[in-house]
Amino acid sequence: MADPAVMAGGFSAVVGRSGGGKATSSPAENYQLARRRTLQVVVSSLLTECGFESAEKAAVESLTEMIQSYISEVGRCAKAYCEHTARITPTLSDTVVTLIEMGFNVNTLPVYAKRSQRMVITAPPVTNAPVIPKALIAGQKRTHPSHIPSHFPEFPDPHTYIKTPTFREPVSDYQVVREKAASQRRDVERALTRFMAKTGETQSLFKDDITAFPLIAARPSSIPYLSALLPSELELQTLEETDSSEQDDQTDSENTPGNNLNDDPGADKENSMLPPGGVVPSVKASEENMIDNPYLRPVKKPKVRRKK
Amino acid sequence: MHEIKMNRKKDKGFESPRPFKLTHQVVCINNINFQRKSVIGFVELTIFPTVVNLNRIKLNSKQCRIYRVRVNDLEAPFIYNDPTLEVCHHESKQRNLNYFSSAYTAAVSAVDPDAGHGELVIKVPSELWKQGDEMNVLKVYIEFSLDQPKGGLHFVVPDVEGSMAERGAHVFSFGYQNSTRFWFPCVDSYSELCTWKLEFTVDASMVAVSCGDLVETVYTHDMRKKTFHYVLPIPTAASNISLSVGPFEILVDPYMHEVTHFCLPQLLPLLKHSMSYLHEIFEFYEEILTCRYPYSCFKTVFVDEAYVQVSSYASMSIFSTNLLHSALIIDQTPLTRQCLAQALAQQFFGCFISRMSWADEWVLKGISGYIYGLYLKKTFGVNQYRHWIKEELDKMVEYELKMGGVLLHPTFGGGKDKDNPTPHLHFSIKHPHTLSWKYYKMFQCKAHLVMRLIENRISMEFMLQVFNKLLSLASTASSQKYQSHMWSQMLVSTHSFLKSISNVSGKDIGPLIKQWVDQSAVVKFFGSFAFNRKRNVLELEIRQDYTSSGTQKYVGPIKVTVQELDGSFNHTLQIEENSLKHDIPCHSKSRRNKKKKIPLMNGEEVDMDLSAMDADSPLLWIRIDPDMSILRKVEFEQADFMWQYQLRSIFLRYERDVVAQEESILALEKFPTPASRLALTDILEQDQCFYKVRQGACFCLAKIANSMMSTWTGPPAMKSLFTRMFCCKSCPNIVKTNTFISFQSYFLQKTMPVAMAQLRDIQNLCPKDVLNFILDLIKYNDNRKNKFSDNYYRAELIDALTNSLTPAISISNEVRTVDNLNGDVRLILEEITRSLNMEKLLPSYRNTITVSCLRAIRMLQKNGHIPSDPSLFKSYAEYGHFVDVRVAALEAVVDYTRVDRSSVELQWLLNMVQNDPAHYVRHKILSMLGKNPPFTKAAESPLCNEALVDQLWKLMNSGTSHDWRLRCDAVNLYYTLFGLTRPSCLPLPELGLVLNLKEKKAVLNPTIKPEQGPDTTEMTGNTMGVHIPVMGFTSSLDEGLITMETVSSVSMSSGVAPPPQGLKRKLDSVVGPLGSSPPEPGQVLQEEDSSKKFKIRFNTMEEDEIDMESPHDSQAFIHHHLNILERPSTPGKEPPAVDQAVLSLPVTPLPSSFSKESTSSSKHSGHHHHHHEHKKKKKKKHKHKHKHKHESKDKERDSHAFSNSPASGRSVRSPSMSD
Repeated sequence: MADPAVMAGGFSAVVGRSGGGKATSSPAENYQLARRRTLQVVVSSLLTECGFESAEKAAVESLTEMIQSYISEVGRCAKAYCEHTARITPTLSDTVVTLIEMGFNVNTLPVYAKRSQRMVITAPPVTNAPVIPKALIAGQKRTHPSHIPSHFPEFPDPHTYIKTPTFREPVSDYQVVREKAASQRRDVERALTRFMAKTGETQSLFKDDITAFPLIAARPSSIPYLSALLPSELELQTLEETDSSEQDDQTDSENTPGNNLNDDPGADKENSMLPPGGVVPSVKASEENMIDNPYLRPVKKPKVRRKK
Repeated sequence: MHEIKMNRKKDKGFESPRPFKLTHQVVCINNINFQRKSVIGFVELTIFPTVVNLNRIKLNSKQCRIYRVRVNDLEAPFIYNDPTLEVCHHESKQRNLNYFSSAYTAAVSAVDPDAGHGELVIKVPSELWKQGDEMNVLKVYIEFSLDQPKGGLHFVVPDVEGSMAERGAHVFSFGYQNSTRFWFPCVDSYSELCTWKLEFTVDASMVAVSCGDLVETVYTHDMRKKTFHYVLPIPTAASNISLSVGPFEILVDPYMHEVTHFCLPQLLPLLKHSMSYLHEIFEFYEEILTCRYPYSCFKTVFVDEAYVQVSSYASMSIFSTNLLHSALIIDQTPLTRQCLAQALAQQFFGCFISRMSWADEWVLKGISGYIYGLYLKKTFGVNQYRHWIKEELDKMVEYELKMGGVLLHPTFGGGKDKDNPTPHLHFSIKHPHTLSWKYYKMFQCKAHLVMRLIENRISMEFMLQVFNKLLSLASTASSQKYQSHMWSQMLVSTHSFLKSISNVSGKDIGPLIKQWVDQSAVVKFFGSFAFNRKRNVLELEIRQDYTSSGTQKYVGPIKVTVQELDGSFNHTLQIEENSLKHDIPCHSKSRRNKKKKIPLMNGEEVDMDLSAMDADSPLLWIRIDPDMSILRKVEFEQADFMWQYQLRSIFLRYERDVVAQEESILALEKFPTPASRLALTDILEQDQCFYKVRQGACFCLAKIANSMMSTWTGPPAMKSLFTRMFCCKSCPNIVKTNTFISFQSYFLQKTMPVAMAQLRDIQNLCPKDVLNFILDLIKYNDNRKNKFSDNYYRAELIDALTNSLTPAISISNEVRTVDNLNGDVRLILEEITRSLNMEKLLPSYRNTITVSCLRAIRMLQKNGHIPSDPSLFKSYAEYGHFVDVRVAALEAVVDYTRVDRSSVELQWLLNMVQNDPAHYVRHKILSMLGKNPPFTKAAESPLCNEALVDQLWKLMNSGTSHDWRLRCDAVNLYYTLFGLTRPSCLPLPELGLVLNLKEKKAVLNPTIKPEQGPDTTEMTGNTMGVHIPVMGFTSSLDEGLITMETVSSVSMSSGVAPPPQGLKRKLDSVVGPLGSSPPEPGQVLQEEDSSKKFKIRFNTMEEDEIDMESPHDSQAFIHHHLNILERPSTPGKEPPAVDQAVLSLPVTPLPSSFSKESTSSSKHSGHHHHHHEHKKKKKKKHKHKHKHKHESKDKERDSHAFSNSPASGRSVRSPSMSD
């Protein structure tokens, strides 16, 4: 007999799909459909036994469903009982207990089985149990270590628990790498410049074929020195990497107009030297930043007396 | 000439040419309008009269509009007259350069502050001068404005959105030599020192940087502007005052807090990096001069569209913003440092120490150049220094041999000498403003070379002592605040300099000075030798060429170094009048068999393979004047093996001197042998060798390889070398990723491909594998891991592609099309296209790659691979591209103009010369046209026509009056195109009617009548139309204003060349009255038509009675006669040759070309008429009865004076006066 677990799985699979009506014909489905058809035959013969001459398809279908559920439940429970007693194959007693549990009078079973008017139905056509597709075997399956009894389940496939490299080994040949980098860059550049040339204004070196070597048109800029002198962002990155340490805090001490508007012309000068008291600590702290340069001094307010 | 100079003793003290001493000047600029590009302000000069009855004050001022002048609060009348605005007036018959040059010199002399002259003549109110002998202080207060100045101040106002500060608008002063008069009235002389107070009110978002100490910055009442107050307590010449205003970012030097740097917005990171070593330069100079930096602060300002890269002013320098660079850039770094060092050297000598006269300029340029050289030596090494000296010497020698000599210390009007000490030049060297730019550069070059010669003579220690002495004298004098007579100690003169030298060193350097300073030209030696085996003597023959232009005879010692087998020996030979041959005894016996080491000059001993040598001779090599202690060119014949030893010596350290190495490389070009090849290859591999020598060796090797084409074995020259040095070990066709850590290798890596591309095969094509090699270099170039930028390297690879180009096989002049493009060229073109396009997306530093691509495209055109077409270059030459790109594009257009003889492009270029906002670009166009002229005087060209002559003439005559340098460039170009005499394409000027053979009709002489043949009229019309409005000339035909011609009437009437020495006196006398004595309204003009001369007579009064004192509203006066500028008549002396020309041509009383009348007589009456009309309109004028002092002995002067009347309506020409 088939493995109950598989059976149960098979049924539930059928149950699950029953509404789908999918007319597929994979081996697994064929197998299940065959079982289902057998159940239908069983239901029909029982109905005939009970004296029905015909039945609606929906009724047959419902009864089939019910019987399938019942059998499935018996299988499931029997398996549970057997596992409960640390076995893997259900025995008769498991099934009996199950039936009892489900409220079935087991004693009536032999009588019922031997009733005279029962119909004999043909065995379901032999269909091969569906072949479980083999899991991808990656690497050698590990055998059980000595302390694990051999009846214990086998280790799963190694790919489920070990790191499996999924990429090809990179090409490490220097020449090829350089070659690739070079042609890649060239391709990108060419594509980019062609795109720019196609989408913008161009100048041409030839009169007969202005598309031959398109040059992006020269466009004057209002402040041409900026782009010519400032390093591009790309270059800046490299620059930052190399001399991020060189940053000095000059900018902090930049002109801060209106900061300390002071009418006394001498005041700034005194500030920059060490004033007698009060703010000494803070000045000391920033002494190095305190550069006495006339361009850093605050701008003075106009003198009022001059007003006319 | 020789003896004269020895009378230099005479000029002991400094004698001011002015009857007053300026002690203090206030410059206050209240308003700077960037939108209108205008400036308003006033100046106040404090002067002490040094004569009794100082009645007029001459100041310099150009293009300023002057509203009022007050002397001690009294309104003072004044006359503004700038003869340089239009040099030769509109008599246009004269088109010869001789005439122009002398007129121009005269014009410049007429306002020369060093002679006490000026454009602005102020009459001191009589109340003040009548006070008698009390030497009172006079305060001269002048209100002025500048509207769209064309010179002196340059506004850069980018056309973008935002406020002026956001747009990065800025303004700065500039000029060539003393040009401060362009932006405020002053005594624009390097010898008139005074203290300064400078005030600039600018927008609150801007910074005004100027000379001296910033005392305070104060907001205006509306808080929208602020005023920068500067005080410069050290007496300084006006010419050393500058200003720049802009939204600058401020960087206080982290090492020296008194030093402040300014740059345009967004460039601060670059500024930080570029300025990070300035303190080292400071330390260096202070140390060698044992003198503190003389000013209390120093400012550097980096501006866009700079006139020159570096210009130094008192306590500040203005640089081109293009000198700034980031840490990524290799090539620009030394250049920027050099510029900084130059600027700083000029702070000491040039700004702090000024000069007495133009003739002493060489001392300042010499000293600053010399100490700059010391800095180079210290920072960049002895090799670099010697290389530089050699380069400068070669450059200068080449120039002198080509153009005739460069005279460092010109003397004029002295003794029997002709007025012009340099008759070989087409310009006068009497004034800095008449000099060709190139000449001035060579002048500076020679000056520092001569200083080096002096150092050789007296030792560096003494030299520095002399400098220290000059500096300490000056700083003592500068601290004498109230003793302005002491200030002349701050002026250096040739005399005082030489005296210091003799005091300090006790040596007589007279002969040296006589040879190189008082005399122009260089020495040219030819050497050859023979070895006399019997006597064991080297017979050396040194000949000189002192007859061709630019050469002089040398008599004196000369050093010869002979390397023999037994060692190196120096011999000092005496070059004398008649001795050519010198016998030098050899020390070594010829001993080929014994293998001994050979001792060298530097004490080392080396082994040499002597198999190449002549078996009998112990000589290895000979060098004449190895220390470059003579300004000379040496051509020397040596057997080739000698050069090889010299060269390979680097490898073996036989000869360490880079100069010797470079000379031998040059000489080796003539010896294409396997031995030379080996020697050069050795050098390339030797990384101790100076990189510039190795770079030179690359090019030499390429040349040798080409000469050895048939016998050359192995791969193309340098290819395997390059592969070994710069390519990957595992894959030799791929270049390593860039690192550029070793700069020596970097420079070699850059140069080798460029040199390799010069290789040619038997078909005279660049070998295929060389081209592929270069293309691979470009392809595999990988800079991702590099901390430096590779833009210069990539640019040089493009240059290499350019070098590989050879002329296309032309198929009967067919049009170049894409289809018949040669395969290799297609590859090259593809690279160029891609690189150029990539530049648009990722621009490189200074757009070096674009520059190289443009050159490459021009070369493709020139070689016939692609159609020749200037339109691409013209678009890149437009204003708004980076200046390097523009110059490269313009160079291509200039080249196109020459090759295709295109008058359209020539016109386009000349238009740009007149209209471009960037002064540097204008200058560059003219100098490139001069270097690569569309045609020359020697050859016929369809481009050479009358219209062009007129256009260029106009350009130099009046179109470039705002920029001395540009005017001299125009003169140069005119000289290159037409020569000194009247251009041959012009019709003869004698007749009123001219037969135009081309058009087969007779027309009125165009110089007489502006309406000429239809064709020409159109041309002239064009040029006038474009030219005049733009340049702001108000003189147009329609206004009917007339220019009176008085030029050269002196020489005319006298009919003989002026006596020597006459020049100065005459100018004095002529210009004196000119400036201030206008003709009486009732003057009478007479002319003698028959003789084609005319005399003008008018009533004159005594000068003293000039009616200028009658009070009048000077402002109104100006407004009404804004154009009073007159012609100073500029009747300078003319060299005899010119006189002849002038006299023979009927030009002189040149009729004005404005007049519509065709005969000169009617023209003059017409003029007269106008004159009156003009007056009627402007009644005020009648108030001034300008009277002219009549000096009866010089009748001809009257005619000059006449033209100077403010009433003559001539004033048209003053831009400042145009309302």
